[in-house]
Amino acid sequence: MVLRFCWIALTATCLLMSGSSYAWWMWTPGDHVDDSTQNMFDYGYHPKQPIDFSHELHAGKREIPCQYCHSAARRSISAGIPSMHTCMGCHQYVRTDKEPIQFLTQKYQEQDPIRWTKVNDLPDYVRFSHQAHLGAKDHEGKLLLGEDEDQVCIACHGPVKEMTTYAQWTPLQMGWCISCHNQKREPESPGAEPKNFAAVSCNTCHY
Amino acid sequence: MSKQEVDELAKLAEKPEVFAPSGSFEAPVRDVKPGEYYAYAEERLPGITEVEGSVEADLPVSPQEKLATQGFSLDRRDVLRLFGASAVASSAGCIQRPEEHIVSYIRKPRDQVPGVATHYASTCDGCASSCGIVVKTKGGRPVKIEGHDEHPVSQGALCGVGQAGLQALYHPERLKGPRVRVGERLDETTWDDVFERIAKTLGSKAKIGILTGAPSGHALEFYKEVLSNMGQGEDQLYTWEPNGLFTSIAKAHEFAFGELDLPRVELSSAQLVVGISSDFLDVGTAPVFHGKGFSRGHAYALGKRGRFVAFESNYTLTGAKADERHVINPGAEVLVTLLLVRSLMEEPGSRGSVAQRKQIADILELQKSVLDEAYAKVGIEKTVFDELAHSLLQMPSVILAGGSSVFDHNATQLQLAAIFANILIGSYGATLMFEDGWMPCPVVPGDLKRLLSNAEDLDALIVVDTNPIFSAPPSWEVRKVLERIPFVVSIQNFPNEMDDVAEFVLPNNHYLESWGDAQPVAGFWSMRQPVVRSTTNSRQAEDILLWVLAYMEKSLPYKDYRAYLRKRWQKIYDMSGTKVSYDHFLQAVTRRGFVGRLQTRTVAELSNVRDHFRGLPEPLTELSLISPLDSRLHDGRYAHLPVLQEAGDPITTITWDTWAGFNPHTMEARGIRQGQVVKVKSSVGEIEVTAFAVPGVHKNLVVVPRGNGHQDHRSTISYKNGVNPLPLFLRAEDRYSGQPVTSNQKIEVVVTEKRYRLAALQKTSDIGERSDIIKKHSLATLKRNFNKKRDLDHVPDLFPKLEEGEYKWGMSIDLDRCTGCGACMIACSVENNVPQVGREQILLGRTMHWIRLDRYFHGDLNNPKATFQPVMCQHCNHAPCEAVCPVYATTHDEEGMNAMTYNRCVGTRYCANACPYKVRRFNWWTHKWGEMGKRQMDRNPRAVNPDVTVRTRGVMEKCSLCVGRIRDAKHVAKAEGRKVKDRDVRTACQQTCPADAIEFGNVKDPTSRISSLRTHYRAYTMLNGDPDHHHYGLKTLPSVNYLAEVTLKEAPGKKETGSGH
Repeated sequence: MVLRFCWIALTATCLLMSGSSYAWWMWTPGDHVDDSTQNMFDYGYHPKQPIDFSHELHAGKREIPCQYCHSAARRSISAGIPSMHTCMGCHQYVRTDKEPIQFLTQKYQEQDPIRWTKVNDLPDYVRFSHQAHLGAKDHEGKLLLGEDEDQVCIACHGPVKEMTTYAQWTPLQMGWCISCHNQKREPESPGAEPKNFAAVSCNTCHY
Repeated sequence: MSKQEVDELAKLAEKPEVFAPSGSFEAPVRDVKPGEYYAYAEERLPGITEVEGSVEADLPVSPQEKLATQGFSLDRRDVLRLFGASAVASSAGCIQRPEEHIVSYIRKPRDQVPGVATHYASTCDGCASSCGIVVKTKGGRPVKIEGHDEHPVSQGALCGVGQAGLQALYHPERLKGPRVRVGERLDETTWDDVFERIAKTLGSKAKIGILTGAPSGHALEFYKEVLSNMGQGEDQLYTWEPNGLFTSIAKAHEFAFGELDLPRVELSSAQLVVGISSDFLDVGTAPVFHGKGFSRGHAYALGKRGRFVAFESNYTLTGAKADERHVINPGAEVLVTLLLVRSLMEEPGSRGSVAQRKQIADILELQKSVLDEAYAKVGIEKTVFDELAHSLLQMPSVILAGGSSVFDHNATQLQLAAIFANILIGSYGATLMFEDGWMPCPVVPGDLKRLLSNAEDLDALIVVDTNPIFSAPPSWEVRKVLERIPFVVSIQNFPNEMDDVAEFVLPNNHYLESWGDAQPVAGFWSMRQPVVRSTTNSRQAEDILLWVLAYMEKSLPYKDYRAYLRKRWQKIYDMSGTKVSYDHFLQAVTRRGFVGRLQTRTVAELSNVRDHFRGLPEPLTELSLISPLDSRLHDGRYAHLPVLQEAGDPITTITWDTWAGFNPHTMEARGIRQGQVVKVKSSVGEIEVTAFAVPGVHKNLVVVPRGNGHQDHRSTISYKNGVNPLPLFLRAEDRYSGQPVTSNQKIEVVVTEKRYRLAALQKTSDIGERSDIIKKHSLATLKRNFNKKRDLDHVPDLFPKLEEGEYKWGMSIDLDRCTGCGACMIACSVENNVPQVGREQILLGRTMHWIRLDRYFHGDLNNPKATFQPVMCQHCNHAPCEAVCPVYATTHDEEGMNAMTYNRCVGTRYCANACPYKVRRFNWWTHKWGEMGKRQMDRNPRAVNPDVTVRTRGVMEKCSLCVGRIRDAKHVAKAEGRKVKDRDVRTACQQTCPADAIEFGNVKDPTSRISSLRTHYRAYTMLNGDPDHHHYGLKTLPSVNYLAEVTLKEAPGKKETGSGH
């Protein structure tokens, strides 16, 4: 009887261990992870860029507003990155002795565009609009996410002004998106059912 | 630009006369605002910086932004996927994810914002009708072509061929570079080499000719100028347009009024239209313009409806729309028209001057004996003509004759007879218009014949974008003649039969890469501008000729064709009388797409045409063959476009193939079964083709459409689909226009034992007992119930109430307007990246169309009435598909839409089985170009619309009501702090519909068009029973509703469905 119980216990332990190791294998990133989707280990993504561009210097110390360079954010789905011409607007005069600037100048003169590595990246089946988030207004014309545009950027992209080279700050996963979308607004009238902050139907983002 | 100049431009747009009587032609030149159409950005005209300044001044930019206008990046979704940039997986720390790149602009073009579409106005080159288009580009790439709302020809709509223009642009089999003949092969070479060698050869040739298709706008004059520069006469320019309708109408008007010209047909003001084998809604001369006009003048509105009477022997798409259709004997068209003329002459009150009536009476008198017997020969009684003649004089009306399904010896005679009829009912000046202004007819009648007889003397021939070897009957021996010409240069887009005879095959630019213009109506000019640089190593045909001239050291004083146009447009500028500078004028015209001032003129007195009616044709009594142009592939020039091949013929729904259409009774009598291969023989040729029953076709007629049967093996898509029927035709021509005859050929039919499956999209044409798929109301019923409203969204049921937001999207489809042209199917495929699957997959029932076009026949097999019904996802409020999905991949959103989430779908296909409308499509494969062996095509990675997810194998998909467009409109509305307005969102199908049959909008907005249509008495939802009798059918409560078709008469002996009680 005792022996039988021991067998059962042993088998159960083995099953449990194999199960948990399977789960460990399943959920651990590695070769087997489907590379078409993102996973929860994404924040902190910090790829090497062609130029070690410092947001801390430009946006932080020099206080250049985010949308000086990412000027499309307010009117487009995409925030955009500056053209090399924009960089050269200052850097034909400023810090021309530095190596990265010389690299940039050379590229600009050769008409050879820079290939930056994308940090904040969504899967292809997700539609995200910077315009809708940044410029979202209520029916009274008030900006939903506040007047300070740089603060709105920080909400998702993190304290960019303190980062030397940029690394992904938030997971950019659906659960994380929904955590805002699902927040309730103040009810329009007392007793009325509070509405969602933003739409949460599937085809808000997937189409 | 100064205020004064702006006023001048606005004045320029005001015309003394309105092109479309309904007032759709209200297009003042406006100052440019963001989001409007832009002129070509790349190389602006000199001296127009002020205009550019005004572009910037209109933009609401902050000072910081103004400094940063050069800032730009390419967004991944928009560009990298378009370029098919491969994602390289890298491992950074423990992260496994695709590494994607953003490529920065070196200097951002002014009119580009990443992620925001830029629109350019241009002109379509799909056929000679020259519709105005607006091309949507993203990241510098065209992603959609749409009709130009303000353009009076297209009026916002576009046909299927126009929509498919993008597929031609991105086609992987487009010629990649110039080729030169080396023995049997064509080898790649460089442009320099080409110009050098062509110039050298042409320099030593005495007689050089140019053969073109129907050249648009100034191209005709340009070619003449090129020829004269080469030391050739203007008569060395030859044209070839396989659609003979243009030539026969123009020739008849030349005989009658002395001018080679086409009248503009104003169907919108015609309450009664009589079509005599006319295909004005089909391939015709201007299908979109006619479709718009016809739906305005004919479809039910406010208790009124027009009438359309058709006489024809073939069952055409146009005839299918007729309220009364009379089947006539093949070859009887001239007699039918003259009998109508006779009845009109007898009718008191018929119009026409004394001299005109005298001449018509003389002709009728001359042919009295023939006409007396003609009623029996034609197969129609005199009372029909008398009644019609009476009605024709009671209301604005028009008589249209001829089309591609009848092109015999008497095509021009038929047009002359139609001119008589139109004179007698007073159409000229009311529904048939001529305008003042310079306009050479794009096609010169009889040119092919002239080329063939002159070919002996020709030393060299330059062929521009036309393929007479395929599109003219082989009995004309075009191939042999071209082979005999020592030096042939062919400028074309795709490999075709011309490769066999050409010394040089040079790739031409697509029309979206070219400069050009067109004159759809005299006095009215439409501009064509490039919206993208050449995507292959191709050059514009006109530029190639200029380069050749330069190498011959006989250059014209133009840098390129654009410079030529600039010089030529000076004349239009002078005519316009505007005070703005020429540069401003050109800039404004390019931006807006067109300019014009129409001045209707009266036609001249009828010339003496008695001689043309010395003999009248006898109707045929034996089995005969007609080969109409295919409504999608035309003469075969679009056979390489999968999206058109797969959309299928509207009447038979057959895709990717050629069929022989028989009357079902003829098939029975001859022992031919559906799908049986028959040999069709004439004295000159023989083909094997599959028999297919087409109700409504005359018993003595075999219909084999043209378009397929290409023999060039280098084109994997057009190669070996079906057969070409043209080898059966004897060498014969229309007596007056010289165009090859392609109908009424005597043939024999021999039945073989072989069977072949035709890939038809619709397997049945019968509705059976169901009364809630198609509904019809008579005009009298509608008048009785004029004020009665419907409520489609509330039926008694036990379902839980749905959550609702501030929008509820709905669509309404008017079956009375729908002509079954199928432009919606093609527009949808282009917009939503719907793949084409090929014949084999269609045979397995795996079509992917998000909209299908159902066609049902009612009544007598010899002369049935057809109803067309576009069916897409009905977005049911109680959707059967949602309940069965095990993974919540298909869900209902609070805006009434049935959402499909591709990334959730695991492909159980339960939803497709649950769907009663059969609109869900499953991806059995990841369809892409390059697997031609399997016929799985479409999806050049560059050609996808970046706003819609590309689906892969194993995923279900269906109509999304163009949710991407709804989101875009919402983003704009949100930024402006307002709600989405009516018509802010137009779905792809609605946008392109030439009949305005589709309406889309917010049902909750009581002022929207959709909400008034949805409550209309005609409104019903499919498979939802008969609410008048408290039958609610499936109670799926679709968001898509239909508007019942309207009949002029009460159906005899049949209870009216859905009539009020």
